[in-house]
Amino acid sequence: MGSTLLIAWREYKQYVFSRGFLLFLVMTPVLFLGAVLVMSVVDKARPQRTFVVVDQAGGYTELIDAGLAKQHLREALQAWNAYLEGVVDPAKAAIEDLPAPFGAGVITNERLEAVAANGGVAAAREAIGPFLKDGAPPFSAPRPRFRRLEAPAAALASADAEAAAAALEPYLLGETALPGAGEALFAAVIVPEGFGDEPATEDEAPRQAAFWSKNVTDPTLQIAVSRALRSALRRRAAAEMGLVGADLDRLSDIDAPLTAFTPGEADAEAAEIDDADRLEKVILPGVMTYVLLVVVFAVGNPLLTNTIEERSNKIVEVLLSSVTADQLMTGKLIGIAAVGLTMPAIFLVGGFLASAFGATESDALRETMAALVRSNLLFVYFFYFLAAYVMFAMIFLAIGALSNSLQDAQTFMGPLMMIVFAPMPFAVMVFQNPNGLAASILTWIPIYTPYAVMLRIASDPPIGEILGATALMLVFAALVARVMGRVFRNNILNNAPPKVTQIWRLTKQQS
Amino acid sequence: MAPYDGSGMDAALELTDVVKEFGGFKAVNGLSFSVRKGEIFGFLGPNGAGKTTTLRMILDIIGPTRGSISVLGAPSTRPQRARIGYLPEERGLYRKMRAAESIAYFARLRGAPAAEAKRRAHELLEEFGLGEFARARNEALSKGMAQKVQLLATIAHDPELLILDEPFSGLDPINQGTLEDLIRTLKASGKTIIFSTHVMEHAERLCDRFLIIAKGRKRFEGTLEEARAGLPRRIALRTPAAAADIAAIASVAGVEPVGGAPANAASPGHTPTDYQVDLKEDADPDAFLSACLAAGLAIRRFDASSESLHDIFVKLAGEEAA
Repeated sequence: MGSTLLIAWREYKQYVFSRGFLLFLVMTPVLFLGAVLVMSVVDKARPQRTFVVVDQAGGYTELIDAGLAKQHLREALQAWNAYLEGVVDPAKAAIEDLPAPFGAGVITNERLEAVAANGGVAAAREAIGPFLKDGAPPFSAPRPRFRRLEAPAAALASADAEAAAAALEPYLLGETALPGAGEALFAAVIVPEGFGDEPATEDEAPRQAAFWSKNVTDPTLQIAVSRALRSALRRRAAAEMGLVGADLDRLSDIDAPLTAFTPGEADAEAAEIDDADRLEKVILPGVMTYVLLVVVFAVGNPLLTNTIEERSNKIVEVLLSSVTADQLMTGKLIGIAAVGLTMPAIFLVGGFLASAFGATESDALRETMAALVRSNLLFVYFFYFLAAYVMFAMIFLAIGALSNSLQDAQTFMGPLMMIVFAPMPFAVMVFQNPNGLAASILTWIPIYTPYAVMLRIASDPPIGEILGATALMLVFAALVARVMGRVFRNNILNNAPPKVTQIWRLTKQQS
Repeated sequence: MAPYDGSGMDAALELTDVVKEFGGFKAVNGLSFSVRKGEIFGFLGPNGAGKTTTLRMILDIIGPTRGSISVLGAPSTRPQRARIGYLPEERGLYRKMRAAESIAYFARLRGAPAAEAKRRAHELLEEFGLGEFARARNEALSKGMAQKVQLLATIAHDPELLILDEPFSGLDPINQGTLEDLIRTLKASGKTIIFSTHVMEHAERLCDRFLIIAKGRKRFEGTLEEARAGLPRRIALRTPAAAADIAAIASVAGVEPVGGAPANAASPGHTPTDYQVDLKEDADPDAFLSACLAAGLAIRRFDASSESLHDIFVKLAGEEAA
């Protein structure tokens, strides 16, 4: 093994066989699964919000109850749809052939009514039971998120909305306990007299319902109440127009089928934009751009710290008595680049193996792997990773050669990070409009070229622009490597960090 | 020992009129010297004399501004690096690396095959009493142990030419003794060793020849005897006689009371004073003693033993530094 590769191997081994790296490999999937688990637990453990309604207008309490019950049934059916995907035995029945209205499908008002009329979730469980796989877990419906309590008598007896609000305040602040409300009542809804009526005069404002709550961060109940009241008012208006409630439900169930296509494909089926296209053209480029940014800087950091260690521990002189500064620099670059490629490679190989050998039933994983194989994204990632890596790694090496400690290095790292992350606000613009002006500008700035191209590549950007910007980036990368290489060679043996004015000289000096 | 002119095939190292400038500053100024194969060569000089710069040039870590350097018969060090072992003055190890791994790594960087480097690393650690620390991380070693590991890393690839910059610094007296033994063993096995040190006792005990430099210039190159021969012979004398009485003896070049003590004004019966007497070139100490007695000087102490390397160093390097 040549000296350069020996140095590369040492650098690689130091990080890949370290406890930190192994921990990273284990922790990443664990954290991902943990996050999914925590979200599920948090969802289940979400507190049930209690509220009261002071209905001075009359008739709205029942409408709010009905609206919330319908919302709960909608949530239950969403969970039911997801549940059926995993538990129905195809040998017994296809999902679409399950007995109506309990099979999986679009959740419309009509279906909600039908499920409710046929016994709700309990009846659905019983009807689908014979079609489930053996040992399938039972369906657990999400519990209602809101619970209405009877309003205190004093509030109900209030003459107006203001008085009702005053009567409810101690309950909302937790100063007075309402049976069943826990520590404090979450919210109170006051529907004033005349709510929904047309104002008597044009100058008069329509009466407004009030939603009182100490909690300002969770708007779910407010939204649900607002939706129920809006529905009630629409129904009233519809009735005045001669329609009945069911007519309104049918109207809102009407869906306009619209299929998205993309031009330039062989046939209509290929041209249709489906989830796989979105995965390949939007989601994966976005995720891979993020990974590119993170990995380049994640691996640049050890390059910096290791160079500082070699300087401060005086290892560098022994190294330079055995190899040239160029061999040392190249060995480090190769070793750490390999670390940077190992991280995603391990997850990729894991993903391919899991999907190939059926270790997972996740369609998302299979589709992701298929999209990666089908597209050129992996090649693009590899190429632009190397380009971005050479630019930034050389800068990190030079900073390492200029610094005796991490504190010294911070002087240079601060401005560098500001430059690197400066275009972050524009990343959304590039994401939404991959061939827009912002995307073009970022593509032509060499240090941003890898990220901009990665983000745009699946959206058929102008090939001339990509080739031109890439050529410019390669020239820039070669220039950076040359100049930063000089800084590295010229200062690696100097004990004291140079002054800012001396750095310019280091970039020009031939060693 | 016969004078050595550095020419011929037995020169392990030869510098000819080497200059190194940093900006306008000449760190090394026209330095020429030779090191014979198989000898221990002391590279001495005060701080800032240009020793480290010279060693870096020899190793081709930095290039000379002018002049030529021939190492092991080749006009450039680079192809000879595998035949050279270098222990710099400021040295360190990767903290997370293990002791044996460090030795093997540096040996491999200098061209040793992987298996051989590993075997040598373990052998050397055993030989130097660090066998049980072979798998210890360097950060867990004491300073002395780490110094030993660094030294072993320098010799593990079995180099022909060893350049040791302050190899004794940081070692306790026992380990200094062990290192002296190692250097002698290496010489016995035919290695050429160049080492710099500020501890003249080590150099005096070990070196066949010396180079003394100051302010980037050569002050002396040769054996200890040659150095002594080049300096006026100095006698340590204790006598109640006056300085003028001593100076009156024909072979005396100069007389100084030691430590700035006042010279005696009167003769016999006075308190004896210690003098440092420099004899004229080619003067014989025995003849001087006879002349003193013949002149009736009462001699309480007479020491004509040779000057130490320390004295020679201070004289030669000090003159330049002054």
